[in-house]
Formats: sequence, C-alpha cells, structure tokens
Amino acid sequence: MEHVILFAGPMGAGKTTAIRSLSDIKVVGTEAANTDRETADKPTTTVALDYGEIHVSEDEKVRLYGIPGQRRFDFMWRILRERAAGMVLLVHNDAPDPVGAMSEFLLEFADLCERGGVAIGVTRMDVRPGPTLTDYTDVLERERPDLMVPVLAVDPRDRGNMEMLLMSLIANIEMRAVYGGAGALT
Amino acid sequence: MKLGSRPAIALHRDPLVIDLATAALHELTDLAHSVRYATVLTEDGFEVDGLPAHEDDRLSSLASSVQALSEAVARELRIGDAQYVIIAAEGGHVIQLRVPGHPLVLAAVFHLDETLGKALATTRVVAEHLAANLTPR
Repeated sequence: MEHVILFAGPMGAGKTTAIRSLSDIKVVGTEAANTDRETADKPTTTVALDYGEIHVSEDEKVRLYGIPGQRRFDFMWRILRERAAGMVLLVHNDAPDPVGAMSEFLLEFADLCERGGVAIGVTRMDVRPGPTLTDYTDVLERERPDLMVPVLAVDPRDRGNMEMLLMSLIANIEMRAVYGGAGALT
Repeated sequence: MKLGSRPAIALHRDPLVIDLATAALHELTDLAHSVRYATVLTEDGFEVDGLPAHEDDRLSSLASSVQALSEAVARELRIGDAQYVIIAAEGGHVIQLRVPGHPLVLAAVFHLDETLGKALATTRVVAEHLAANLTPR
C-alpha cells in the first residue's frame, strides 16, 4: 500500500527542507539556480519536484512530493495532485502576506482539500511572530467553515516537527474518510 | 563582452543578456528554417527571449522543469551529465540543452521536416556561440 502526500506552499516556505527531514531515502530533487534574487533571496529553487519516501512497513510507504512554489510551474501542480491523498501546506510567516498565501493555495487545491485532507505548517515564526496561529485559523473559519484544518508552527529542519504535522494530516484524512466528506467534520 | 563585472541583476531582465539571447535565436532560425519556436530561458524558468516574439512564455517554464527532471534521471542512474533533452513527437521535435557555463537553457521546437541530427547539431552550435559571447557569471 502506498500513500501520496503533496507538499505545497509559496517559494521559500521550506518544502524541500521538510521533505529532506522526513524522507528515509535520499531525496530526488530538481533544484535550479535562483536567478531572480530580488524576488526571493535564496540560492536555489525547485523547478519540477522533490521526491522522498517514508517506509512505514515492508508493505507500506508514504511518497512525498514537493511542488514548485511559483505559479509559472502550475502544470507540475496539476500533474502531481492527481494521485495525492492529502496536502501539507507550508507558509513562511515572514512572507509579505502569509495568510493570503495560505488562502490562495487552499483555493488552488480545493479539490484535494475536499477529497483528501490538508494540514498547514507555519514556518519561520521565530523570525517573525506575527501573524499568529489564531490569525490563520480565524481566516480559515471565515473562508472555509466546511473544512477542519490543523494549523501548527513548525521548523521544516526538525524531523519531529514535521512528523507531527504529517500525523495531523493523516488523522485529518482518516477522519474525512470515516465521516465521508468535509462537511461532516464541522 | 564583459558581463562578469556588471552589477547583480536577474538574467532575464539584463538588457545585454537579452540582446545576446535574441542574436542567438536569430542565428538558430537562420541556420534551421524549420524552427517553429525557440527560447532562451534561465534554468529556473524565466524567459530571456523567444522567437517568434508573440508566443507566450509557457515553453520556458516547461523547459525548465523538463531540464531538471532529465538531469535528475541521469544523476540517479549515474550515467553522467545530460547532454540534450529530446522529445520526439508526432508533430515535431523539442530539443533543449544548457548554454555551457551559464544558468541558461536553449529550447527549440522544430517541424518534422528537420532531421533530428541537424536539429541537434544546430542547437549545439548556437548554444556554444551564445556561451562564448557571455563571460562567466
């Protein structure tokens, strides 16, 4: 049995790092030199996908796919979302509008949130403490009252943090499966 | 051309790089009349220039992902560096390759009346000329 989990979020949120923290295999990456440092000051950026695996048991593995954060690669979003059972959405708190970015990605991946599940990890809260987690959940309650979405502060470099977020997602997916849809969870 | 000493600016916004890319694309279309569309892009998917100019820059994003995926496959299989990416479709060929020594890729779509061999040779020559005109960055 295999499960496919998508890691989504804006450029610089920590998706590649999170998959590296979680994966039991050497991550297959597609990083290219970031030639536009004015937009995001990081040396490389993912342009196709990151791929990692968690080996749960001999017969069960979790496949982790990270997608590029920039919309110009949205064809990769469409390709990789097809088989996904759920989504870890990472947003970095020191982005210009992290709550808005969360809303945009939830809208973009609404089908996956509804048929599977979603968990949100807010990164870099140590760099910028606001907005708070309550700011995120307030917007979620207003915009998507039909979804129950766990929101955690995480450090993508910390495997324990990321395992906690992943477990929250799996619980979210299982509850949705048991109760038969997003509406039943409110 | 001495680009190495120029202030840091995104390659796809650098007028000198754009001029050199434009010249390379014209060289390509002069050498191979069956080019349907060609672009020089940064390896992270920004179009530097494309011919014909009215086309959207979708190919640049696609080419960036395909380049990285192809290189990941070559890396995983330990078969050395990827030289070209070739997509042979019913309606034409897509050929792309890195501009040696620079974070740039040349990608071109050829009609079927171009032989694959000539398309490969032509894109190689143009990529090498473009590389020679750019100093290490």
